[in-house]
Amino acid sequence: MNALQRIVCTWCGAQSPQEAATCIACGAPLDIKNAVSDSGWRAAPRLRDMTELRFGNSTCQLEGEIVPVAEITLGGNDAVFFEHHVMLWKDQHVAMGVLPLQGGMKRALAGMPFIISTASGQGRIAFSRDAAGELVVLPLHPGMELDVREHAFLLSSHSIEFSYTRIQGLRNILFGGQGMFMDRFVTRDAPGLLILHGYGNVFERRLAPGESILLEPGAFLYKAASVTMNVETQKLTTGLFGGVGMNLARMTGPGRLGIQSMYHHHNTE
Amino acid sequence: MGDSTLYTCPWCKRSSDASSTSCPSCGAPVDVRKAVTKSGWTEQPPIKDMAKIQFGQSFCQIEGTLVPVADFKLAAGDGVYFAHHLMLWKDDQAQISAMKLKGGWNRVLAGMPLVMTQAMGPGRIAFSKDHPGELVAIPLDRGQSIDVREHVFMIATHSISYDWFTSGIWYRTREENNRETHYPVGMFMDRFTAGEKAGLLLLHGTGNVYVRELQAGEHILIQPSSLLFKEPTVRMNLHFEYPASVWTRPGTWIVTSRSWGNRYLWLRLAGPGKIGVQSHFAPIEDPGHRMDSFEPNATEVQW
Repeated sequence: MNALQRIVCTWCGAQSPQEAATCIACGAPLDIKNAVSDSGWRAAPRLRDMTELRFGNSTCQLEGEIVPVAEITLGGNDAVFFEHHVMLWKDQHVAMGVLPLQGGMKRALAGMPFIISTASGQGRIAFSRDAAGELVVLPLHPGMELDVREHAFLLSSHSIEFSYTRIQGLRNILFGGQGMFMDRFVTRDAPGLLILHGYGNVFERRLAPGESILLEPGAFLYKAASVTMNVETQKLTTGLFGGVGMNLARMTGPGRLGIQSMYHHHNTE
Repeated sequence: MGDSTLYTCPWCKRSSDASSTSCPSCGAPVDVRKAVTKSGWTEQPPIKDMAKIQFGQSFCQIEGTLVPVADFKLAAGDGVYFAHHLMLWKDDQAQISAMKLKGGWNRVLAGMPLVMTQAMGPGRIAFSKDHPGELVAIPLDRGQSIDVREHVFMIATHSISYDWFTSGIWYRTREENNRETHYPVGMFMDRFTAGEKAGLLLLHGTGNVYVRELQAGEHILIQPSSLLFKEPTVRMNLHFEYPASVWTRPGTWIVTSRSWGNRYLWLRLAGPGKIGVQSHFAPIEDPGHRMDSFEPNATEVQW
């Protein structure tokens, strides 16, 4: 097929057939304008109900718009990994396993999930989280490294390496709003699919080298490994009462940065 | 005015040229029909993604639909104030500092934010809240005031003054020797007033937001925690309803009983004036203990 007959997705860069209404790699609608604020934040693609996308021999269908569900049809030899509490339902014959992890004690002490579960094809399995929000579909090309707020990842294809990175600096740990570790996802030779869940609405911007922005720490969702994070405290004094300190995370480029607009964990019960 | 190129917003009543897809004063979309329920509630149309609201030399862009973000571009000399935990991000240019508030101890005791933060332009700063819902933009004309339930307020421009007053809505229960005072709409309410210049007030309603204009003498009962805002002319009082339990005993007796704990608690709003409610509200924790006393204007009905 002629390259000119394909549409390039501005979210993930994948090429889809000209007649496609949504990107085959990330599900982003191809027939509407990107929503970009004057301040430079791009809204994550509003994924249409029942959008389908492909990875490896598998497909993923995205269902619902308030607390969306990612329903995976796993092809033979394909697998996904996830934190077990996000699993919504599965076929009985989908095989379950556990992803080998390093530093289990550290993860347990840091309040991160001690066990990451895996599901292998063939069969269907579905995932969702516990609050209103958006799914962020991030097809990762070979050689990409992405840091994700702990507990924010919904699922990942098995071709992506999963590890964690320790947040540097006591101030960043104490006031960064996300504990001691961040999840790190790395692609080596093969591409992969990573799906996150952001509370509320999700926005992304690409920071230029040296460009920085101050963020409510709880709003951080993901960043390129090249983006640095340092917590700064601004004192707001009120005379007799002394005032309060406002902790803000300074995120400095280069690289992409994703935030969520509902930054407190919100239980739905 | 007979100029056909002018559009008058049905929500904020401000006029603008008809070229925009949203009202520049309150952000309401111009291309949707007013949705009014048969009972008279008007559904506030959600502000469209990326709609812009102008105030002074500055503007605010509303981004997102689940938990919308209010993204301000402040011009030099323009400023806003807000509860500090609502700030989502800011650039280095926008300068933030604490705003002085009167009655610090009372605010602490009432669980209200002790510190109100202000940001001055030039620069960019953005805000959001921690629940899915809608942003409500209320432009205030010179001298106009609006009363807002505590913790609902998001941002106000610095031309609007901030004050607060005791809500006067309370009741006291007694369990043996323990007395407990309850404040169903909070101990205090916020009051915002535009001074010499008009200003913009942004609230966050959890769930969907509905407004209605109560006529003089008209009244309605609402869940106390669903109240978002009211005009100062709207009066409030507590209203208790005691439903009857009726059953038939073997034989021919019909027995009616009421218990202290079996009661409905309402906020009664009486016009004239505009009110706003939110569809997602926290339940009032009424322990059901015996009523000891209540605010002097409270009313009750025994069914």
